[in-house]
Amino acid sequence: MSFEDWYRQDRLPHIYCAGCGNGTIINCTLAAIDQMGWKKEETVFVSGIGCSSRAPGYILTDSLHTTHGRALAFATGVKMANPDLNVVVFTGDGDLAAIGGNHFIHACRRNIDITVVCMNNQIYGMTGGQGSPTTPLGCLSSTTPFGCAETPFDLCELATAAGANYVSRWTSYHVKELEKAVKVGLETPGFSFIEALVQCPTAFGRRNKFRQVADHVEYLRSHSLLKAKRDRMLESGEKIPGDMFVVGELTRRNRPAMGVKP
Amino acid sequence: MKLAIDETRCKGCNLCIKVCPYKIFNEGRKLNRKGIAIPELDRPERCANCRLRNLYGRQICGVCQLTCPDQAIHWIEEEPYEPHKVAIEY
Amino acid sequence: MTSRLEFWQGNTACAEGALAAGCNFFGGYPITPSTEVAEHMAAKLKKNGGVFIQMEDEIASMASIIGASWTGARAMTATSGPGFSLMMENIGFAAMTETPCVVVNVQRGGPSTGQPTMSAQGDMMQARFGSHGDYAIIALCPATVQEMYELTVKAFNLADKYRVPVFLMADETIGHMREKILIPDTVERIGRKPLLPGTLPFKADADLIPGFGKFGTGHHVHVTGLTHDERGYPSATNPKLHAALVQRLVDKIENARYDMADYDIINPEASKVFIAYGAPVRTVQQVMHDKKDKDLGFLRLRTVWPFPEKALAGFRNVQAFFVPEMNLGQIAREIERHVKVPVISIPKLGGELHTPADLVAALEAHQ
Repeated sequence: MSFEDWYRQDRLPHIYCAGCGNGTIINCTLAAIDQMGWKKEETVFVSGIGCSSRAPGYILTDSLHTTHGRALAFATGVKMANPDLNVVVFTGDGDLAAIGGNHFIHACRRNIDITVVCMNNQIYGMTGGQGSPTTPLGCLSSTTPFGCAETPFDLCELATAAGANYVSRWTSYHVKELEKAVKVGLETPGFSFIEALVQCPTAFGRRNKFRQVADHVEYLRSHSLLKAKRDRMLESGEKIPGDMFVVGELTRRNRPAMGVKP
Repeated sequence: MKLAIDETRCKGCNLCIKVCPYKIFNEGRKLNRKGIAIPELDRPERCANCRLRNLYGRQICGVCQLTCPDQAIHWIEEEPYEPHKVAIEY
Repeated sequence: MTSRLEFWQGNTACAEGALAAGCNFFGGYPITPSTEVAEHMAAKLKKNGGVFIQMEDEIASMASIIGASWTGARAMTATSGPGFSLMMENIGFAAMTETPCVVVNVQRGGPSTGQPTMSAQGDMMQARFGSHGDYAIIALCPATVQEMYELTVKAFNLADKYRVPVFLMADETIGHMREKILIPDTVERIGRKPLLPGTLPFKADADLIPGFGKFGTGHHVHVTGLTHDERGYPSATNPKLHAALVQRLVDKIENARYDMADYDIINPEASKVFIAYGAPVRTVQQVMHDKKDKDLGFLRLRTVWPFPEKALAGFRNVQAFFVPEMNLGQIAREIERHVKVPVISIPKLGGELHTPADLVAALEAHQ
């Protein structure tokens, strides 16, 4: 079995643009699920609206493609009604943090036993490139033509503060680490949140001077700071550059969880 | 085994060229019928999975396959007696 | 069939009816005057093997019952006006994906925050047309505590049969009043049509209803709110497909209008006919009892949507319809479309019931 077996072959090739990071993240998630030995009959994918949320339509399991931002509420209903099902949620940064912000913090608070993979491309890709709550300060998008004036969310800190059991962040460059992180998330009971920073060449990359897909991926690689290194830098008093982001397993704890398979 | 890029799926993003640790890919020069330059295999003998998959019985490396956003990379068995370059490790 | 006699509040009867019908999931948010339904379910569902969860808002409540319904559960929520408005997007999603679920709306004075503790019937049009786009739903209106119980059971059966959200449009009067109720030993349960292996999950039979492939049974159903084909795959740019899908969703309910219609006709030969649903039914019954006039007829509606217009034709000698409602004539407007005789709307805003004198005055004003 490989992750390829989980795809609906009659629906490929998919609608994603050339070089879209979402395809990579779906590969990694399916590879992790395949390693867990889960069966297709007992796995359910839930998603909201956006490029990331088109993913369940390409996967050969039961899936729920719901309204914008509400994926976590639907997933809560599925998991609580039938805790034997394995529920994985695909969302994007806008779907999760903007319209879905309230459901996000409550799902973390409840610590419901689902795994959320957030494909954070720092923009609203599907609708043409509007700013999102994670668009970095100063970046261009179609609704921030003079540079984004709002400070962005740190989704991982939000999840940790709200009570998630497992929080980790990787990028679309770090495929092997991402696959392992998703696997740990699937194994950990309680709310597992994996943020994956991805490139959006058509909306974000085009407006923010990443002319080649590879340039954007290189940017993601060079600006990611491993957690261990960040901790060392903090200890030694070194200043951490503002545009670096921390990757790795950021939170892992054992708070009481809801909806765990008995 | 040998690496094959599915021409019906590849969209020419060239991410495989960037991520391969053994640098086996090179940018394509010829455009195919869809107008995409599929990456060429410059040094396929360096691919760890091609060489060692059958020996160890499991996937080795596979970063290009995981990274490819269009699921265009597969490994297929070679024909018997198909000529291919071999890299010898000391 | 023996039954036992109880003295219950309307909301309690609704919750008990749901439990009797096999409801095993309630996802709700408290709002006056429907909170008692949630509280009763919170106390009793677990014993029946069900799950109660208080969600963070009404949007999440509706979402959670749709998710639960897809795992095969009989799911329900209860709310009032402001919460009903919040649920509209997901109600449209349930209609589009043909998810069976029951939504209880114990109506209160509106618009906006309005009169939380007073009665009204102001959401009747919203129940039918509240979400965007064209779709059809079923709405039932109880007028007594007994009907709160029976119509809740019926709501679950209709939801499962037609794969549609069904609304129980009660009002604060019926929700909060206490009355005698006879509980039957058993209630009828009509389940969902199963999805046969090898059949496409959204391919409808002759009755326009597809089989239901619940999650976890290996059917690999992709459920989406996008316009979809019979496999469930999104296909949003196909004009004929969209037209056919929306038409089927509407026809599925509208064509079966008279299979599910539930109404009483009293004195069909009358020339002056009252039409009422919900709490005003009781006032009309009082007027009919006081006047004992054979020329006064009554159409008591229990299914308001889809509207059973053939019932109107049951009154051959009618010269005027009188429609008392606790809103500014929402169903009177619907009745007007179907008949040529005058339709006199008797609205009552403010939260109090019509008095018999109000109705008699309206009768006399139109001599």
